[in-house]
Amino acid sequence: MPGQLYKSAAIVGAAEANNIGFLDEPVTALQLHIEAIKNVCDQTGIPINRIEGVFSTGWSPELCEHLGITPKYIDTTAVGGSSFELHVHHAMAAIHAGIIDVALITHGENGHSARKIGGRGPSNYGMGGGGVTAPGTEMTMAYGLGGAPSNYAHTMVRHMHRYGTTSEDYAHIAKVSRDWATLNPRAAMYSKEKHPFGGPITVEQVQDSRLIAWPLTILHCCMVADHGGAVLVTSPKVAASLNTKPVWIAGAGESMAHWNMLEMDDFTATSAATSAQTAYSMAGMGPADMEMALVYDSFTITAAITAEMLGLAKRGEGHLLWKDGRAAPGGSFPINTNGGGLSFNHSGMYGMPLLIEAYRQLSGTAEDGVNGDKGKQTSARTCVVNGTGGTLSTTGTLVLVADDD
Amino acid sequence: MAYELPIPTQGTHTRPFWEGTKAGKLMLPRCEDCNRTHWYPRYICPHCQSMNLGWMEASGEGFIHTYAVQHLVFGKWAKEAPYVTAYIDLKEGDRMLTVLRGVDPLSPEDIKIGAPVRVEFEVASEDTHIPFWRVVEV
Ligand SMILES: [Zn+2]
Repeated sequence: MPGQLYKSAAIVGAAEANNIGFLDEPVTALQLHIEAIKNVCDQTGIPINRIEGVFSTGWSPELCEHLGITPKYIDTTAVGGSSFELHVHHAMAAIHAGIIDVALITHGENGHSARKIGGRGPSNYGMGGGGVTAPGTEMTMAYGLGGAPSNYAHTMVRHMHRYGTTSEDYAHIAKVSRDWATLNPRAAMYSKEKHPFGGPITVEQVQDSRLIAWPLTILHCCMVADHGGAVLVTSPKVAASLNTKPVWIAGAGESMAHWNMLEMDDFTATSAATSAQTAYSMAGMGPADMEMALVYDSFTITAAITAEMLGLAKRGEGHLLWKDGRAAPGGSFPINTNGGGLSFNHSGMYGMPLLIEAYRQLSGTAEDGVNGDKGKQTSARTCVVNGTGGTLSTTGTLVLVADDD
Repeated sequence: MAYELPIPTQGTHTRPFWEGTKAGKLMLPRCEDCNRTHWYPRYICPHCQSMNLGWMEASGEGFIHTYAVQHLVFGKWAKEAPYVTAYIDLKEGDRMLTVLRGVDPLSPEDIKIGAPVRVEFEVASEDTHIPFWRVVEV
């Protein structure tokens, strides 16, 4: 039986900033936010000044001032890339409680442009452990770890040890994600014309690409580009008054394990198992009821472990979804239909692109000329979405379903 | 030769740990109420939420839990690449991070998860002796 919050709110629109990817002309994160917000409000017909709740990773007061609005519900949850899935959960609860009817969830991050003009984001979400004087950092800073790949490589090695998998097994995830990206003109790796390293890739190319942190080569790692996006979540009453199709939030859950990887008990598991259980339970559905999935793919191994945690595959067999072709274009269980953080876009936090693609797929707008070439739209009516933030620490899972009409 | 790699910024409540390293001892924070150790050092026991914390000397022995080889590195460690990083399971049950010694970064398949390791200390400065773990020859 579904839980109390089942379908108590819907995503009614999803849009991106005007330009995303590896932008020649540097953009600020604020610009990416504002463009996406304007676009999603235009799409739904909801005026910006009707937004009652603003959810972002620490930006809400600044954004509201910039937009000239004074919302009555402000959330700045910043737990890394999964923040946006948590925002949906929080917005749903606020709507169900009758506090607000219209919630804006927004993202802007100039991961690429920041190299030229600087950026801003929540501190330390990549490595965990707090500031330089926090004891978690004090006890790890001597040991030569840097960006996310340096740490995530350890999880792949443990998974290989425990289940007898190989790095080549995971390379299929990168290959299939690229296949999806070649159907998405907005994907940074859509084609050779769009990016020198774009277009289709083979498993061999993934394995032979530059070694970053053994066993991770660069094509096992997501990109760092520019992205802005926004979605609107409303009450059923507001949703019924709009011209856009609602995508119903049937279930939502969030959970966390460690923050510093030192405290990660099982390097082959994440809290997605718990957040998924909460979401499935609220929806009154399970993994067998899902027809597609959008999972966080900061690295190929992240996607494989997440698929296992969501119950889409047995432990140690997550990679088979991609290797067998089920997750690929035309396959029986499409995954990461936008091309993922591996080949579509990842700006540092990837939770927003997950929401946007889920909305597009379930509202039937995944290939309208902007969002995808022929073959990108699937027939899925249900989708499980999972965001993972920090170093495989905080997760948010959503069960989304298409409108009945 | 001066130690040129990053040296930890020491806090105040971790002083017994750093004092221990100077005496060649690996000290672990232990809760005086539930008797369990934890790592990294907390202000509160993560097992029972007591603030009655003390320290104990650990065996300095452990096993490789998992590892990776760092090839693309920025900052002070760049000139050391490639090198092996590892998470170590202590005999006491806690887990520490290290740059692993006594292994060949160019033959990562030869490194064995579960292999025994022992702690040693490098003098980085007068005040800071940094623990590193080395694979035990068998
Ligand atoms: Zn205790």
